[in-house]
Amino acid sequence: MANPVLQFQIISKNPEQAAGFYSKLFGWKIDTDNAMGYRRIDTGSAEGIHGGIWPAPEQSPTFTQFFVAVDDVTAMVAKAVKLGARLLIPPTTLPEGDEMAILHDPQGMSFAVWRGKTSDETA
Amino acid sequence: MRARFRERLQNEFDQRRTRNAHYSLRAFAAMLGADHSSLSQILRGRRSAPAAKIRDWGKRLGLDPEETVAYIATEHMPPEEVASRDSQLRHWTAEAAAILMEPTHWELFRLCAPEWRGGSRDMAMRIGQTVDQVNVALTRLLRLGLVETDVDGAWRSVRSATTQKEFRRLALQRVRAKAAESRIQLPRGLEK
Repeated sequence: MANPVLQFQIISKNPEQAAGFYSKLFGWKIDTDNAMGYRRIDTGSAEGIHGGIWPAPEQSPTFTQFFVAVDDVTAMVAKAVKLGARLLIPPTTLPEGDEMAILHDPQGMSFAVWRGKTSDETA
Repeated sequence: MRARFRERLQNEFDQRRTRNAHYSLRAFAAMLGADHSSLSQILRGRRSAPAAKIRDWGKRLGLDPEETVAYIATEHMPPEEVASRDSQLRHWTAEAAAILMEPTHWELFRLCAPEWRGGSRDMAMRIGQTVDQVNVALTRLLRLGLVETDVDGAWRSVRSATTQKEFRRLALQRVRAKAAESRIQLPRGLEK
């Protein structure tokens, strides 16, 4: 399987303000009707990727991560660590069945590897 | 790589020597109005140039004032590895402080013992916090390995802690262990 970038995620100290800003600026639709109260961003276009907003702790800067689709989150984490990445959040299954892990690349940039629940169904 | 004032001085000195092979370091120091041995130490990287000297010598070399200000700022910036360690120390100290001061962590830890099925929206309703507060705390608990999920999406506390004090001790141990992975030593006595 190829490993496309599935979505972007804004990590924001003020997620409500970020949601308001981007929805007003670009007309993005932001929906929180899910188990994690996750602010899902629908850019309204079939082009490009969609995204989300997650709250940041106080000491964190506001930044953006990208989520890369993988077949096997645990195996990809092991590969990334072997290549010098640092594991931040271990493979975690979310309430709707998606699985993700968050890492820092060797230069300290944060990114996520992601396996959607539908991957099981389509595999 | 950032340009240092020392390199600018060396470059200027080298150019003058290219034009005149007899041009000496003493002559260069005299032109700058500098003490010869101090200038020599700066050029060899034994000491850094004080801001007042950079300002004065910058004028004599005909540098643009903005360039001079940039050299002063660069000269007084901590080395990258020191800045990175400071940033890591701040990060892990803030993690420890959050665990100690925000009871949401303990509430969630307790909620996930033995397990919790559902999302953070339900957790927030149960403990009377906003979903964002819960998500920040839950992310921290995941990061510290204090809570985990299984393939069925159940959240579980990884260890048992029957009191808030016990939880705080356990959480701080995790913060210290994670900080140590980045070779950061947190100060003792945070638990008290």
